[in-house]
Amino acid sequence: MSMEILNKLVARSIIDPGVVQAFSTGRIGEVISELDFSAELCDRLSHIEAESWAEYAVLAYRYVKAAEEREVRIQLPSPLEGLLPDQKRAEDEQAA
Amino acid sequence: MIPITREERQWFLRSLAQGLIDYLGVQEPPVPVEDLLKNPPPLYDSDFGVVDMYSNLWDATFARPPSQRGSIFVRIDLDPEERRFALARETLSALITSKQGRAMGLFDLLLPHLRESAEYFASHLLAPATMLKAYHEQGGRARGISKTFAIPPFVALQRWEDFHAIDQTS
Repeated sequence: MSMEILNKLVARSIIDPGVVQAFSTGRIGEVISELDFSAELCDRLSHIEAESWAEYAVLAYRYVKAAEEREVRIQLPSPLEGLLPDQKRAEDEQAA
Repeated sequence: MIPITREERQWFLRSLAQGLIDYLGVQEPPVPVEDLLKNPPPLYDSDFGVVDMYSNLWDATFARPPSQRGSIFVRIDLDPEERRFALARETLSALITSKQGRAMGLFDLLLPHLRESAEYFASHLLAPATMLKAYHEQGGRARGISKTFAIPPFVALQRWEDFHAIDQTS
């Protein structure tokens, strides 16, 4: 989801000079805050220091990609839960 | 400029291509690249143009004569699919050297790998993942891509392989 938002922002920047102007004048945080990033990402993306918009975009890509990979890891089931389906696990718990 | 990986550069190029597709508002292939160059976004009025040339040296090349509009000079006798790919490829040079492109920092990011970047950009401008996905879901096959998207067969094959290997997982 966050990557889709970033993709759209970078796509927009090729035809909307407002995005690059906001970056060049230190107001990229205003643009970022209008988008649907999480609070943490919004804060990080608003404070990236880069020499150009293109460099900013690549650094933003790294942050967003890392954040999405962390999310995926968090969503994985814990190995402690085992591999039993929910119903079977509930039956086992009842029997015990 | 910070060092960047090929994956990062390709992501950036896909996003640029998508920006132009969004501007055109097209949902289905073929993407009208020549219309884009002849009726560009206002930001690129002095950067996009097409001039037909007789040449045996190259298929197309972008040039910006001093104080004049930049244009892509394209061989007049190319096949339609080859012409579209050559125009799409040279569009990246037009973007990089434009006022907006320079303001974005495209020059430093893309110049070291210009040829590879331009071909990658062109293949995604003419056959974006969203359209390939829709084509695939409607039962489209590899052999029909070249005709449907109006791109050269070697580009069609490469995009189809990339689509199955990468695009669907990104």
